[in-house]
Amino acid sequence: MTSTLPAATTPTVPAQRPPAPKNVRDTRPSLRFRSSRPDLVLCGVLLAAILVVQGWNIADYPTLSDDEGTYLAQAWAVQQGKGLAHYTYWYDHPPLGWIQIALLIWIPAHLSPSSMTVGSMRTAMLLISAVSAVLVYVLARRLSLPTWAAGLAMVLFGLSPLSVVLQREIFLDNIAVMWTLLAFCLAASPSRHLWHHFGAGIAAAAAVLTKETMLVILPALFVTMWRHSHRDTRKFALTGAVTACALIGLAYPLFALLKGELFPGSGHVSLWDGITYQMSRPGSGFVLDPGSGSYGVLHSWLYYDRVLPLGGLAGALLLLVTWRWSVTARALAGPALTVAILALVAMRPSGYLPAMYVIQALPFLALVLAGGAASVSHAVLRRWRDTTEKTYVTWGRRGLAAVLVVAAGAYVVPEWYDGDRTAVTTDANAPYRAASAWLRSEVKDPRDTRVLVDDALWLDLVHQGYRPGLGVIWFYKADLDPAVTRTMPRGWRDLDYVVASPTVRRDAVDLPTVKAAIEHSTPVATFGRGEDRIEIRHINDTTTTATSGGSR
Amino acid sequence: MLTSVFIAAISLVLFWMAAFTLWWQMHAWRTPEVLASTRFSSPDGGEGLSFSLLLPARHEQAVLDHTIQRLLESGHTDFEIIVIVGHDDPETTAVARAAEARDPRVRVVVDHHEKKNKPKAMNTALPHCRGDVVGVFDAEDQVHPELLAHVDHAFRTTGADVVQGGVQLINFHSSWYSLRNCLEYFFWFRSRLHLHAQKGFIPLGGNTVFVRTDVLREADGWDPDCLAEDCDLGVRLSSVGKKVVVAYDSDMVTKEETPGSLMSLLKQRTRWNQGFLQVYRKRDWKQLPGFGQRLLARYTLMTPYLQAVSGVIIPLNVAIALFLDVPVGIAFITFLPAVTALVTFVFELVGLHDFGKQYGLRVRFVHYLKLIVGGPFYQVLLAGAAVRAVWREQRGRNDWELTSHVGAHLTEAIREDVPA
Repeated sequence: MTSTLPAATTPTVPAQRPPAPKNVRDTRPSLRFRSSRPDLVLCGVLLAAILVVQGWNIADYPTLSDDEGTYLAQAWAVQQGKGLAHYTYWYDHPPLGWIQIALLIWIPAHLSPSSMTVGSMRTAMLLISAVSAVLVYVLARRLSLPTWAAGLAMVLFGLSPLSVVLQREIFLDNIAVMWTLLAFCLAASPSRHLWHHFGAGIAAAAAVLTKETMLVILPALFVTMWRHSHRDTRKFALTGAVTACALIGLAYPLFALLKGELFPGSGHVSLWDGITYQMSRPGSGFVLDPGSGSYGVLHSWLYYDRVLPLGGLAGALLLLVTWRWSVTARALAGPALTVAILALVAMRPSGYLPAMYVIQALPFLALVLAGGAASVSHAVLRRWRDTTEKTYVTWGRRGLAAVLVVAAGAYVVPEWYDGDRTAVTTDANAPYRAASAWLRSEVKDPRDTRVLVDDALWLDLVHQGYRPGLGVIWFYKADLDPAVTRTMPRGWRDLDYVVASPTVRRDAVDLPTVKAAIEHSTPVATFGRGEDRIEIRHINDTTTTATSGGSR
Repeated sequence: MLTSVFIAAISLVLFWMAAFTLWWQMHAWRTPEVLASTRFSSPDGGEGLSFSLLLPARHEQAVLDHTIQRLLESGHTDFEIIVIVGHDDPETTAVARAAEARDPRVRVVVDHHEKKNKPKAMNTALPHCRGDVVGVFDAEDQVHPELLAHVDHAFRTTGADVVQGGVQLINFHSSWYSLRNCLEYFFWFRSRLHLHAQKGFIPLGGNTVFVRTDVLREADGWDPDCLAEDCDLGVRLSSVGKKVVVAYDSDMVTKEETPGSLMSLLKQRTRWNQGFLQVYRKRDWKQLPGFGQRLLARYTLMTPYLQAVSGVIIPLNVAIALFLDVPVGIAFITFLPAVTALVTFVFELVGLHDFGKQYGLRVRFVHYLKLIVGGPFYQVLLAGAAVRAVWREQRGRNDWELTSHVGAHLTEAIREDVPA
């Protein structure tokens, strides 16, 4: 039998292990999540709670979002072998996100094709949420947080009403968050293995290819990796990670290049145009300016939960300020930096702040808030404590800690209870279901009917026999996609119905054909009330009956 | 469709080959603990073993005396130096005899074989060895004075049968190929050899290798007909379960220089490759107990073949992917080997930086540039040497290219092992 000289890796000759140089010894407690029973039990219990709260009533709350419909429909197109989208893929986002969705729900979609609707396929997001929640716990432990703080981070991440609402939805951000968390977990691997860091680079690339905004988080990931690598192997580990990330990331431009769509040209879409569009989206104003759209977005988040966003920001601030003194602060440098970066990016006055922006911050807000709590608890219970401390001081410390816990609980629990109860009881999607049912039962000839709908309802109609793409049409494609407008030579007159959901009414302002279609139609059925109502409007075209319009 | 499947399959095979090679090449840097374990542990001051150091020298009168002097400066107290010279080489013999007269620790053994090579020379000296451990050096080696003490300690603390120390080419600035040649040694001795030791299958290096004398005699010394007798010895010893230990310390390595010309590098590489093929065909590695070990042995010894084949296939594959109209997904797969090659490139750059740090050598920007630009050309050289080795082996040309003799009769002996 043979072995390397000191045979550190060969258990049969342990005596040869040299006294490893001091700097190699690991001072952190070696954590083996898989074999630590308290960790497994706590994580398992919390995971069950999160799954129940997030899963209960998942199809009916929150309101179906247009974006969910977009991604799910594109996943459907991937499953059907229609390419990356059923309309021309125009490099709006890297496609890895919905490719993953397609793979994830391949089997259920195959067994029951009609279940491919936004409401029922939200269930798949439970899996993503579950993996992410466990990764938050693992990451917290790898960043040296105590068990209770890791559990706290997981609860904050999984049970905040804001998280419950957003993580239920089929958003690319949720999937990208999972990859990012995996990258952080690998970066903070206790074994400091070269290939773990390499894997972190790959996971980071997967995150960016799922949702490109993850790009801004990479510096924080790099910092985490730097902190968790060893001086002697660091240069290999970090270059390996960066190389892996870059090479995988380059697959996207390479894909565009292979399709001849890297640079703009006449008659085809291009990656360049896609990026230009995303970078030049009209800004939504400064986030703290009460009149701006960003301010509205911020308040829509705070409406669901103030604790996680504001508490997390405060926690990040606390950790960055106490960097010099607090071990916890240094351990959580990566998440704190992530929160800082995301906060700064959100503060750009000219930037566009989408509603799902906060999703990528949620795990890191949870981690820094839990870290802040751990830091405070340490300060209250342990700091400046020595063996001669008087008993009443010790009890004073404990009393203070108890008061803080009770106060925090008293503030958070009622708020969250209300928020989460809404999430598990409210039915926000009855109008959508009713509209879908109406279009199924009342329209006699779906194959020859052309109808503008928002993306959330699109797959429902596809399953009901409408022709995907040109029969049932994503409403904005009627104005924006030349391949669709070409089939509507007479504009709105070539349509039969418009399903005017809140999204359609909101965006119609900038879409002349959609606007005209709404103006030249009358409601034949209305579901819901007020702003949230969904109207099915029949086009009043008296000149001809609009049928079978458009070539396929 | 068939083309696509074919290209994809070839690409995946190449990808896995490159990925495994990379994985093994980076072995030492996997974790800080592994890296720390590749070093010699510090000697405790005690000495227990005596050494017989073999120094085969052939037409090396210019450097021999200096090497002997360096060896005599060793801090170890119990060793002898056996200089092996040829009966037809009076100049070298004179230098050796002079050293023998000066110091009782030096002895000269004359090799009378008609056709000379290194294994025969060393086998001639083996009966004369009085030490517990036989060590091998080359006549031009620069050996560190503390090396023997470290090796002594390693033998005693690990119970090893064989200790392989590091050998390092140093003159990376001499030419574009010496840069790559140095780095090859760096990755081989610094990293990959440790993996082989750990897995229990190891082709030994040509010098700075130490074997217990009784183990060596039991194995009948070196194979005189093998062009890579060092590799062969390692394979034979590890295949019967002898314990091999590898240690690499940048200040304890034996320093050497790259071959002086591109042609001599090509010849040297051809000889090694042919030697590896011979060892493969001797099938001693089949005795290895583990399936994984045998697979590693097969792969390592076949490397020249694989290099020759992949040298032809990779360009062909890329050309097909570029010029034939294949689906985007397949095109992606054809890029996989290239991606792995790029990762290897990047790690080589970092390795060069580390090499400079370890040896206190100043690596300039131009060297990094040379490393990258020279990469493909070096690959061509390797592929050329591999093709040449396969060619020579098939033609039964089995001589050491240092001499002009053609060992046609040796070929017969080896051919008996060849499966039909």
